[in-house]
Amino acid sequence: MLEVKNVTVKYKNIVGVRNVSFKADSGEIIGFIGADGAGKSSTMHAIAGVKRFEGEIIFRGQVYHSPKEAEKIKPQLSLMPQGLGLVLYDNLSVKEHFEFFRNIREVKRDIEYEKRLLNMAGLYEFQDRLAGHLSGGMRQKLSLILALLPRPKLLILDEPTTGVDPISRRELWDIVDGFRKKEGIIALISTAYMQEAEKMDKLLLFDEGEVIARGKADELKESIKDYTYEGEIESEDCFSFNNRTYSLKPLNLKKASPLLEGVFFVNALKKGKKNLKIELEEKEAKLSEVVVKAEGLTKKFGSFIADDHVDLELKSGEILGLLGANGAGKTTFMKMLLGLYPIDEGELYLLGKRIKSYEDRLELKSKIGYMSQRFALYEEMSVKENMEYFAKMHDLSPKETKEKIEYFSTLFGFKKYLNDFPKDLPLGINQRFSLSVALLHEPVVLFLDEPTSGVDTIARATFWKFLREIKEKWKISILITTHYMSEAEYCDRVVVLKRGKKIVDDEVKKLHEKFPGLSFEEIFIKYYEGSA
Amino acid sequence: MKLGVVKAYLKKEFIDLWRSKMIVMVYLIPMMVVILFGYGIRMEVTHSRTVIIDRDNTKMSQEIIRAFSTTKYFDTKVLNITDNEALRLIKQNKADLFIIIPHNFEKNLMHSRNAEIAVYIDGSFPLRATTLEGYVQGVFLNQLEKNGVKVPFKINQRNFFNESMRDENGIIPGLIGLTMLIAPAIIAALLIVKEKEAGTIFNFYSSPVSKIEFLIAKLTPPFILYSFNTFILFLIAVYIFKVPFKGSFLLYFLASEIYIVISIGIGLLVSIITSRQVTALVLTVLITVIPGFLYSGILMPISSMTGESYIEAHMFPVMYYNHLLYDAFLIAQGFNSPKNVEYFFILIFYAAALLFIGSLLLKKELK
Repeated sequence: MLEVKNVTVKYKNIVGVRNVSFKADSGEIIGFIGADGAGKSSTMHAIAGVKRFEGEIIFRGQVYHSPKEAEKIKPQLSLMPQGLGLVLYDNLSVKEHFEFFRNIREVKRDIEYEKRLLNMAGLYEFQDRLAGHLSGGMRQKLSLILALLPRPKLLILDEPTTGVDPISRRELWDIVDGFRKKEGIIALISTAYMQEAEKMDKLLLFDEGEVIARGKADELKESIKDYTYEGEIESEDCFSFNNRTYSLKPLNLKKASPLLEGVFFVNALKKGKKNLKIELEEKEAKLSEVVVKAEGLTKKFGSFIADDHVDLELKSGEILGLLGANGAGKTTFMKMLLGLYPIDEGELYLLGKRIKSYEDRLELKSKIGYMSQRFALYEEMSVKENMEYFAKMHDLSPKETKEKIEYFSTLFGFKKYLNDFPKDLPLGINQRFSLSVALLHEPVVLFLDEPTSGVDTIARATFWKFLREIKEKWKISILITTHYMSEAEYCDRVVVLKRGKKIVDDEVKKLHEKFPGLSFEEIFIKYYEGSA
Repeated sequence: MKLGVVKAYLKKEFIDLWRSKMIVMVYLIPMMVVILFGYGIRMEVTHSRTVIIDRDNTKMSQEIIRAFSTTKYFDTKVLNITDNEALRLIKQNKADLFIIIPHNFEKNLMHSRNAEIAVYIDGSFPLRATTLEGYVQGVFLNQLEKNGVKVPFKINQRNFFNESMRDENGIIPGLIGLTMLIAPAIIAALLIVKEKEAGTIFNFYSSPVSKIEFLIAKLTPPFILYSFNTFILFLIAVYIFKVPFKGSFLLYFLASEIYIVISIGIGLLVSIITSRQVTALVLTVLITVIPGFLYSGILMPISSMTGESYIEAHMFPVMYYNHLLYDAFLIAQGFNSPKNVEYFFILIFYAAALLFIGSLLLKKELK
């Protein structure tokens, strides 16, 4: 039904994706799994006929080689591009969106069908609301039902669930799942969440612009079961993540049931990639028992309450995960801690000191390390120049700076990239080098804002390993935000925000005891629904 | 072409223009430009601060002083100070010029000897200085004539078309030419680039909507909205600035409509090469303001341009439209003048060419 043959997508000077081929039958959901920049979106844009490509695509007997030739399949196609409600017009209401899409797609008004769609998305009561006033999850659901409105035969959804709260995410899946059975459509869906991969009929695993593996989730897991062991060990020849160790060489460990992300690890091992070893010297740090204490912190933007009386405590030597969907108030909260936003209500204590004014923060600056969302590096400066710049900001001497750059680039394995520009590097490298920038001045507490978003599995595993090592050996306390619920696993304690309100604040261990056998995804859904 | 698609897009555009309050920009900016610039730009110089040092103190010198005091062009002060003190007044920006009537001026004049007058003008603004120079000479010549001094020749001057030599009559039509080039281009560019920036452009890229449908939907709103502006600006010119309108309104209206299409065509081209609203805005302003101002004939007559600037002036459509505008307001030759007809067709050519190139370059795909 859909046949993709040797599709290559090129941008000015880089290759987005190389030689992708696959087939899909109607009623199937094909999952595209991989990190940002792995080639998922490029492939989708080529198939949707919105980006030039090399190769051939055939859909229902129509052959096309370019966006121009793809015009003939567009009546049967719906594309939902990456980003929260990207295709919505903020100044149009839900109802007006329906009217607009109905008319530009030239579909007859089918009141029953539209009612069904609106009910599925839970938007029936909100038809008069402007899209600009909908929450992130609602925007995604509206985009999805608008994509379904013309009853497409080919549905392309680019990361429809990224950053969306777990409940909306589950609902999005139910909508798609119900549809493909009834209407016999082909759905191509990319996702950054491994758990969602299980719901797909076929998977394509993308890495560095290539498809590295394909098949059903079970088949893929089956293919690596010989390399999967229980527990985590530290060695150059194997990767450990999520209580599993992947090794090509036989290990003297108990075998374990493989996880899908293991495919990426095994593939990396087969390519001859080495695990980054990290050994830090022990450092002593004397710290107050409670590093950060926030009482009833509140931030308002006009009538919108971004954070509503949130209490939070970061204890010494602890990794505290601040979780939540996009728009839940994580970044706003962190910016209040850092003094980047004024605090509207509540009290804040940093390292035992009550923070009231800008002056209170000045002497603490040298003790806090911060890594912002999307890393905030200077694109026009090389990695080394970036590090030198930040070292100067922290008053490090040239000699110290040189030593630090040498030390961190070796430790975090980015020495060979020192003279490259950040924009030319994989996200994973930028992530590690940003972490070392945050550590340059030897802070005692680290604030990390979404450091793992969009980063590939291996880089994420390595990053978490670094964080735990830093915590244990250097006694640095870490506050980290993420929208991956599953990353709660690596924290000591988690706080979950839902639309500015705290709904969970507990130790990871205790949560597991409370809900034995459940994944964090499932645990948090219980809290979101208010049933826990 | 599917009419339903175009209608749906148009409805969306108008709702969006209204709710995003961009509509205010559509009408406020052209009005503000014409009104502010209309009051602000003055070629004639009035109330220049003049210091007269009368060292002659005769009937003649008194008369000269009176002549200066009674025009609106000079605010005259008679001071008894030295040359250096007068110079200091200019340096301190307390006077724009000073005139010294020397001792024995009347006597020398009567005896047909060389009579000299010293006029010192602040030349920091050359245009103002030369204008003042002309005024001063005029006052003196007039005065001499009255006193029976023989001037060997006499200029019988009369200005056609703008008989009263009012600045407004020249500047306001030029400003209409300027705003009608900038404003529609900005809105047209923003309407498209806005969708690129937000991502809603995917609704066009990935749907069966055709290029022509999209273009019509995007370019019609600015065209309709600015058509109303041609009336508004006409009313401002005629009723607020009292510019006479002697020619054909039909010529004015038709030429303006074509000119709006040209402007929108420029906006379309900008929207194709930019992907951010800020860039689109800056680029549009840059490429419309310069020809709209410098090469339009408002500040400097095209005929006095030479070399590159002459060619550039002829390359931009502004000159042709302004010519027709001046005709409609002041000259009233209409289509009887072959030059007007020629310029009218040149405008049509520009409009068609820009739209054609724009629709060729517009691609239904990501860059």
